[in-house]
Amino acid sequence: MKLPSPGPAWLLGPALLLLAGPPARAQECLDCHSQSGSSVSFKDGSSRDVTIDPKAWQASVHGSMGVSCTDCHSEIKQYPHPDLAERSSRDLTLRLYTSCQQCHEEQFKKTLDSVHQRALAAGHKNAAVCADCHDPHTQRKITDAKGKLLPEGRIAIPRTCAKCHAAIQKQYRESVHGHALVTGNPDVPTCIDCHGVHNIPDPTTAQFRLASPRMCADCHSDRRRMEKYGLSTDVLRTYVADFHGTTVTLFQRRHPDQLTNKPVCYDCHGIHDIASKSDPGKGLRVKENLLRTCQKCHPDASTNFPDAWLSHYIPTKDRNPAVYWSRVAYNFLIPGVVGGMVLFVGTDFLRRSLDRRKKGQNRTDHA
Amino acid sequence: MSTPSHDPFTPPPAYPRFSKLDRVQHIAMLTSFLVLTVTGLPQKFIYLNDRRLDDLIDLMGGIEAVRLVHRYAATALMVVTVVHLLAVAHRVLVRRVSLSMLPRYQDVLDALQAVRYNLGLAGQRPRMDRYTWEEKVEYWSLIWGTIVMIATGFMLWNPVATARFLPGQFIPAAQVVHGGEALLAILAVLVWHFYSVHLRHFNRSMFSGVMSEHEMLDEHPLELERIKAGGAEAHDPAALARRERVFRPVAAVVAALLLAGIYWFVSFEQTAIATLPPR
Repeated sequence: MKLPSPGPAWLLGPALLLLAGPPARAQECLDCHSQSGSSVSFKDGSSRDVTIDPKAWQASVHGSMGVSCTDCHSEIKQYPHPDLAERSSRDLTLRLYTSCQQCHEEQFKKTLDSVHQRALAAGHKNAAVCADCHDPHTQRKITDAKGKLLPEGRIAIPRTCAKCHAAIQKQYRESVHGHALVTGNPDVPTCIDCHGVHNIPDPTTAQFRLASPRMCADCHSDRRRMEKYGLSTDVLRTYVADFHGTTVTLFQRRHPDQLTNKPVCYDCHGIHDIASKSDPGKGLRVKENLLRTCQKCHPDASTNFPDAWLSHYIPTKDRNPAVYWSRVAYNFLIPGVVGGMVLFVGTDFLRRSLDRRKKGQNRTDHA
Repeated sequence: MSTPSHDPFTPPPAYPRFSKLDRVQHIAMLTSFLVLTVTGLPQKFIYLNDRRLDDLIDLMGGIEAVRLVHRYAATALMVVTVVHLLAVAHRVLVRRVSLSMLPRYQDVLDALQAVRYNLGLAGQRPRMDRYTWEEKVEYWSLIWGTIVMIATGFMLWNPVATARFLPGQFIPAAQVVHGGEALLAILAVLVWHFYSVHLRHFNRSMFSGVMSEHEMLDEHPLELERIKAGGAEAHDPAALARRERVFRPVAAVVAALLLAGIYWFVSFEQTAIATLPPR
């Protein structure tokens, strides 16, 4: 047995092992389970291949840290193994995945709040549990010493989610983010950057929708990250300054669970199929694409209409001069006019007070 | 009993200043102006992210309700504008009163003299007629402001229609102008209007319809002189009645057209208010 590197999981491990009695060493189990072709069948007719690839196991984070088979398969104490009570292969998974919390309590607890757990509770047995994303027999280490996801870990994420969400992954692969990711750029968001990991929320709620602009802005307002690609960091600011963004952020501040029909980033830019702004088919810099986008909510919008949205640009003399000059005009007009009024009113008030005092004095003089 | 002017049972002379219709217009206008202010300013300043503004919006039933109420109040203001146009037309075309609200060169001289007097550079205040230069500044500011607010309000209310005949960027420009002009109007009312009719002395004539001799002497000495000189315009009752007979049906048609215009304005398009629900 290889000596494992010290770590919190390892510290927890021995404590549990002491309680559970001497564990079976993995090699004992592998004597049988490394032989391909062995499987278990269940009452419902499903069966499961119980072969473990010893190389993959040794390379996995569990194998390399010396986790023992019976740490998870704690009901197996002798050979022949006791009969399985589960009706189906899936039922077995649904029993075994709870053992993950012995070592991974934090992550396990987070999953209890996830949309997957809610689906499971509602009776959807195929909803993802720990082992569906992290095969415990082959899962490699995907975080660095500080717990930060390694680049190769990030790049693998869409493949993991695609096990169930294949159609969405296909869209994602063709998006500006997904395309960059599959060509090896770890800067772009993967599934978990927007959806979270372990405590994945339901993305169809008003809450998720209203909070989404901040989510996009996490990266898109980050100057360091954006300047690499020549992208503007004014996108959130300009969105919030406009009618749509103003409304959405107000709802988010005050009524995060209420629905508003004003668009958020992904209503215009797409969700998983987000395209570059200059993409000929979908990019919003292409006028026809933008018009088609406006027409989703404003069906009678004509060719001029999309210009009512300033496309995240701050008005200048050259771009949107009507807006720029209107702003300049009122920046002078308001202080100019009101200032003039204040000056007149102020002098008038003083003068009248002086006049009144003089008059009062005159009256006392005469009295 | 002494002279009638000291008779406690005879009211002091009151000089008519505003007709009942004028006063009703004023109250309707100030009500809609207040509602527009209360529902408009929080919309303009939402971006400040201020809790008190958010609270105010929620107090009024949420942003969607606030936007709707703002539109109702705008409709009321447009109706007042139509009433005012007809009332002015009646005054000019039927009663043929002098156009005392029109700005004249004398108003500029009066304004300069008032400024110079306040600075101690002139011996006395300007002596003014039926409408002082300050009142004309306010009246014409209101007229100008209402035109700007109605025009830009139309563009914000009906952006899709507006973009059919104007460049798209005019809609955000209209938003800037609408908010800027609103702020200008509100501040002008707070400074100019409040000072001249509330602070300087409380001028009740817009509610009572009349002014005392003392007030007239103070603010409209030239008008008082003319009245005392018996300068009231003589009317030929027959001619007046004839003009009235022509005016009424024409005014009714114009009023119907203008009200239809308001209806057209407020119902021009639906998608700006009731956009399609999100997917």
